[in-house]
Amino acid sequence: MRRALPILAVVAALAAGCGGSGSKTQQNLTLVVNGSFSKTPYVAETIANGAQLALLELPLGKSFTVGDTTYNVKVERSDNAGSPVKAVANVRRAVADDAIAILDEGTGVDASWRVANEAHIPIGIVYQGGVGLVDPARRGNVFRIAPTDHGLAFRLAEYLVPKGLKVALLHDDSGYGGQGAQALDKAFASNPEAVATRMTLPSSATDLAPQLLAARRAGATAVLVWAQGPVIAKALIAARSAGWNVPFYTPSAGADPVVRQSLADHPDWVDGLTFASGRLTAEEGPNPFYAFSSKYRTAFGVEEVGVKTRRGEEVVQPPEYAMYAYDFVRLLIAAIQAAGGVDDRAKLLAAMNEVTIQGANGDERAFNEKNHEGVIDDDVYFARFRDMTYEPVKDDPLSATLPTIAQTGQ
Amino acid sequence: MTEAVGRTGRAFAAAARDARAAWRLPATLAAILVLAALLLPLVVTDPLQLQDLSGGLYLALAATGLAFALGLGGMPSLCQGAFMAVGAFTAALLRARTGAGPIESALGGLALTTLAGIGLGAGFVRLGRVQFAVATWLFAWMVALGLAAFPSISGGANGIAIPDSGFGVTWHYELALVLVCLACLAFFAVARGAPGLALSALRQRPAAALALGVRATRLRLGAFVVSAALGGLSGSLSVQLQGIADPTGYGPFLSFKLLVAVVLGGMSTALGAVTGLAALSGLTELSHWIGSLERLSAARFDPMLFAILVLVVLGLGGAGIVPWLRRLFPWMGGRAGRALAATSPTRRRGATLTAEGIRRRFGGLVALDGLELEARPGAIVALIGPNGSGKTTALRILSGTLTPDAGRLELDATPLDGTGIADRVRLGVVRTLQRTAVFEELTALENVLAGAHRRYGSAARTVLATPKARAEDRAQRAAALATLEQVGLEEAAQAPAGTLSASEQRRLMLASALATNPRVLLLDEISAGGTAEDVRKLGAILAGLREDGLSIVLVEHNLRLVRDVASTIIVLDQGRPIATGTAGEVAALPQVQAAYLGRHRL
Repeated sequence: MRRALPILAVVAALAAGCGGSGSKTQQNLTLVVNGSFSKTPYVAETIANGAQLALLELPLGKSFTVGDTTYNVKVERSDNAGSPVKAVANVRRAVADDAIAILDEGTGVDASWRVANEAHIPIGIVYQGGVGLVDPARRGNVFRIAPTDHGLAFRLAEYLVPKGLKVALLHDDSGYGGQGAQALDKAFASNPEAVATRMTLPSSATDLAPQLLAARRAGATAVLVWAQGPVIAKALIAARSAGWNVPFYTPSAGADPVVRQSLADHPDWVDGLTFASGRLTAEEGPNPFYAFSSKYRTAFGVEEVGVKTRRGEEVVQPPEYAMYAYDFVRLLIAAIQAAGGVDDRAKLLAAMNEVTIQGANGDERAFNEKNHEGVIDDDVYFARFRDMTYEPVKDDPLSATLPTIAQTGQ
Repeated sequence: MTEAVGRTGRAFAAAARDARAAWRLPATLAAILVLAALLLPLVVTDPLQLQDLSGGLYLALAATGLAFALGLGGMPSLCQGAFMAVGAFTAALLRARTGAGPIESALGGLALTTLAGIGLGAGFVRLGRVQFAVATWLFAWMVALGLAAFPSISGGANGIAIPDSGFGVTWHYELALVLVCLACLAFFAVARGAPGLALSALRQRPAAALALGVRATRLRLGAFVVSAALGGLSGSLSVQLQGIADPTGYGPFLSFKLLVAVVLGGMSTALGAVTGLAALSGLTELSHWIGSLERLSAARFDPMLFAILVLVVLGLGGAGIVPWLRRLFPWMGGRAGRALAATSPTRRRGATLTAEGIRRRFGGLVALDGLELEARPGAIVALIGPNGSGKTTALRILSGTLTPDAGRLELDATPLDGTGIADRVRLGVVRTLQRTAVFEELTALENVLAGAHRRYGSAARTVLATPKARAEDRAQRAAALATLEQVGLEEAAQAPAGTLSASEQRRLMLASALATNPRVLLLDEISAGGTAEDVRKLGAILAGLREDGLSIVLVEHNLRLVRDVASTIIVLDQGRPIATGTAGEVAALPQVQAAYLGRHRL
């Protein structure tokens, strides 16, 4: 016993010494990306990469400190396979795992927001633009940084109606297509003469020739397809292979690489395809976005579309949806810092309405209690494909002022 | 009031006595298992695990429902997932668009699915098995395609979000568990009761069951509607657990998966569906593992593995896991032969069956022409004649299987026009088939009870095990045992009918027919294949029935038996009666000797 006393004294001293200084704690946080990784991998992976990039930029590399606590953040991918039930189940899992936030492409949010809201977990929608998905009064935990369907549809109507076109409004049977169709109905409601026909395209159909033929017979002089990338490609193939060379318009999904990949054998069929999307560049020019793009390439490599221009240059996809995810994660981290940590989740959720960051394209991103939309409708621009790359159109006031983002040979 | 309370108390005491008497080790194990399952939420604190378990239990409820159609009714239904969809979307629409409460919505889903089951069943249950499977499979596709085609109803790819019910996952778990237990108990009760025995008979030997007066359409419709209702209830509750109704979640593959679960677990057992689903969840884990090897979704491998599993089960005889376990561990069977005392033999009352000028053609062939017959109480009329002389055709007409082209049939002076087999059995005219046709999966006692199905145990009373139902059950079992004694098979009461000798099986057929409480018995070559001793026993039985006052029409080739028991003999040749009289009278006629007897003697 007498021999043991000095040893005990040393241990006690060491223990006292350890507790003497200010105690630093580590806490692991999980950021869940709830997307259709198996069905539309481009969108889901891009969202996950954007979130990952925001974390890589943290001062300690995926970690940051608030007070005495160092938070280590990791991104977890949850595949919902495009199924709302799986999407809700993923959110339940995220809540059970005490995730700090959920980055979502929008599927199943009508049901999942409540599950997350009970745990005061914010959901950031960074792809789908359905109007009802975001409602600050009822769904205080749902935020969005992506162009809204309302904005896209009204800008498309505003752009097409003056051209005197008879537009066939086609949408696919996905949630994305259904929400888009609702927005288009409202947008074209005051100009019914501009609508030649409305039609639903079955996503699972291998050939959309019957639907496109019906649109042609209805007297359409333009086609607006609100659908996921693969369906847009099938619609284009059906029209062009029948020699119907009317202009095609789409929402953001028209820029999905899968459209160009599907038409790699007929690059001329892609020429003229015009899509509406949130602008990538801010008033101060393209430099902030280029900087973001450069960081993205450094972290994840060049995102090749898989097609080449006529001059043989590889076409590269700008990380558009990564930008939105990136911005949301940076807003989240700012909110954590403003809330003094993550212990009080209600406080963290409230802080989401108070913080502001400069987004990847140079725009300010912020939410408030009455507005959870991070992209305003006026920011919707139009771009047209030529030679497998796109550039802003010249016949729209906003788009005409925007520079062309480089998309080749990097 | 006091008397009513006293009666209720006595009824409960009697029920408790019955339960104690029937209680066996498997029941103890099941009770412990259920109790442990009820207490599980105290141990499993992860709400996600409880959520998964609740979802699995709701699926088990739908699978148990399917077992009513498949296992009891013998109908290979491939649309159970569609019934879940009907229940789910009805409940979801009621919740989301009308603001109905969770219970009202679930009941709404149940009601609409029940109506759908009645509507579909009315058209489907008369079909053969293959046509039934195809029809239900088409319905499953129709529902899936309908949900895809009408996003205004189904919510499209985003589904219908359901407002929070306020019921937690533990509530759903306990409710699902209780419902599954009740469904299994109901299956168990019905399978052992009169409706289950009748359905089992129908599934094994349709012609023999019909001959005993089993009302196939009504029973099958009942099984199908129960199946649909449980599927709908499962769907309407599970959708509220999930919080969203997703049209893609109710494709035909769900129906296929439920079918595989029931076949795998054992379609004729109460726990088969639950066991099958538990086994399938293990298989899904295997799919995930294969999927991870190929870097593909497990959903690609599930259908393939399920199909392989069904083929394996069918290749091994199709019994399924629970029956295999029972074979391996007989104590699990729990089929205790209840100690029963036979009642005194039923007093039989005959009736006079009269046939006048009966004629029947099959195309150009006159199978029967001018049959005149009178079967009186306490008498046996024998129809004899060479093969193809029209004897069996005559019996089929008398039993209602065939309609005569001309002639008159009366029972106690009441015309039998327009009455089918089941009606004639109800009136007391019953027939045994020419070929040996016992219900091999049932015991001898159950074969007899299948004959008595009409006289006791409505499905509802059986499930609820009311005092009346239990009293009826006891009485019928005792009466069935007495009937077995009457045909000399009391020792074989608990033996599976398939293990009896051919001669015993013929006597068992006779006992099943007697259990219908007939007034006129139509026996078609009842002694076929029997030894001289068997025929002697049979003769004694028939003589006893005759003495009891029963009217009997006997078609026989065994002339010794005919001579010993028949009061009147009608000889048929090429469809026409050529002689009528006692054995001595007809034997003396040269035309009888020329047409039939030849070197034989009556």
